[in-house]
Amino acid sequence: MVIAPDFDSRPIISFQSVWKRYANGTEALKDVSLAVPEGDFIFLVGPSGAGKSTMVRLLIREEKPTRGRILVDGINLGPLPRRKLPHFRRKVGLVFQDFKLLPRLTVYENVAFALRVLGESKDAIERLVGDALETVGLANKGAKYPRELSGGEQQRVAIARALVPGPRLIVADEPTGNLDPATAWEIMQLFLRINASGSTVVMATHNREIVDLLRRRVVAIEDGRIVRDDRSGTYHEDLATSALRA
Amino acid sequence: MRIWRHLLFALSSAWQSFWRHVPVTGAGVLSITLILILGGASLLLGHAFSQVLDGYKQRVSVISVSVADQTPLTTVEDFEDQLRLQPEVLSVRFVSKEEELRRFSEDPRNQQLIEQIQGNPVPAKIEVKVGRLGDVKKIDTLARHWRGADRTDPTDYQGDFITNMLRLSSWLTIAGFGMLAVLTVASIVIVMNTIRTAVYHRRQEIEVMKLVGATEWFVRGPFVLEGVLTGLIAASLALGLLMLAYRPFVERFQSELFFVPLTYDPRFVSVLGPDLLAAGVLLGAMGSYIGVRRFVRI
Repeated sequence: MVIAPDFDSRPIISFQSVWKRYANGTEALKDVSLAVPEGDFIFLVGPSGAGKSTMVRLLIREEKPTRGRILVDGINLGPLPRRKLPHFRRKVGLVFQDFKLLPRLTVYENVAFALRVLGESKDAIERLVGDALETVGLANKGAKYPRELSGGEQQRVAIARALVPGPRLIVADEPTGNLDPATAWEIMQLFLRINASGSTVVMATHNREIVDLLRRRVVAIEDGRIVRDDRSGTYHEDLATSALRA
Repeated sequence: MRIWRHLLFALSSAWQSFWRHVPVTGAGVLSITLILILGGASLLLGHAFSQVLDGYKQRVSVISVSVADQTPLTTVEDFEDQLRLQPEVLSVRFVSKEEELRRFSEDPRNQQLIEQIQGNPVPAKIEVKVGRLGDVKKIDTLARHWRGADRTDPTDYQGDFITNMLRLSSWLTIAGFGMLAVLTVASIVIVMNTIRTAVYHRRQEIEVMKLVGATEWFVRGPFVLEGVLTGLIAASLALGLLMLAYRPFVERFQSELFFVPLTYDPRFVSVLGPDLLAAGVLLGAMGSYIGVRRFVRI
């Protein structure tokens, strides 16, 4: 069962007139406003350099906005002090194109790492990691090392690691960028299942086929501005979906 | 319980990182071992020389005032009282002509002389023990103005010797502190660089920790412990080597430079041991603390 996004309640993500200018003078985002309700699945699309990755970096507070406000789960990220950052980041599961797995650790240890950092007990770690590996279909590969896995399997491990602390928001930056189409589609199915279980998913992607097939909410960014926000959109603007614009 | 788990995680990470990057940590350990050996050796030498200096100081901080023959005993006693009133004076003792002659004749260097002299030519003495070496001069001046003092050789004050000794003592102290400061800075820089390399090797892990919400000190903790471990191992090595070399060195020194009364002091080794280990831990902790503050940011 797919839980419908709750557009009436407080959004889990809110960009309010956000501007981002880097030290070299590049204006990466210009007056961006966006509200993402809890349980939504949203694609951020646009050409390279449009500002998608900047949005992701702002969402996880790797960067601060130059102007405007960003609220995630009610937390204003701009003035958030550094010491409170770890507690904020525990609310967000992150998935990247390059997986960011630790090569010396097994699949189990990679997923458990997220819980060890939080100081969870051994029993809790065993239970939660087992569940997460089950969810991503790698229950029987816990003892393998990342180098022994395919790209798709490595991305599943990364997703399991993002899921294991139970975040309400998953942010994925080009998660299918290194995968072949069939594997990418499998990974997308996994994200859909995660979304169906209630987590909000924000995904920056270049994968046109997937965006067009899934027909989820699409926010298109060009030159630092949101140029399109379709409730059930495609990678490129088309007449069929423009009528459903949010 | 959570803190305990974090501590265990930090300890096991530090232990693994230390052995995983042995070429780097080993170089750090060796460098700090050498520095601590230098520091420890300079402390041992400093202690040995300060023992020698203390011996000399002890001797020259007692000034003998020669009493002219025929000086009435009451005049001597008055002067003794005057001396005792001086705040610098620790003790005053009168040595009669007879006692002084006995001392003189007991010295083997005076054997030939004693056979040739008749009667008692040596003067009575007032021995004055002074607290600070620098104040001996004041007592000398006072004695020279005393009418009961022997005019030919009123005191045995060796002004130049004392001045030189005080100068040498203060230079040795300054040089010791200077050397310790340089060695401290060098150790901290070495540990910092070891930590910088460890941070570089573990940058992936740090990035993942950051992304999954590790606190700054959760990430930094293992590096600080690694620095402490580096310092502790280096200090243990340095202590072992110093203990092995100390006695043979002193014995060699005694046989080659017999006129310098350098002695082996096992008590000082037991004092140096904990100090050196504490210094290793402290240097490791300081270097790694500064290192992680500079190189590990969330």
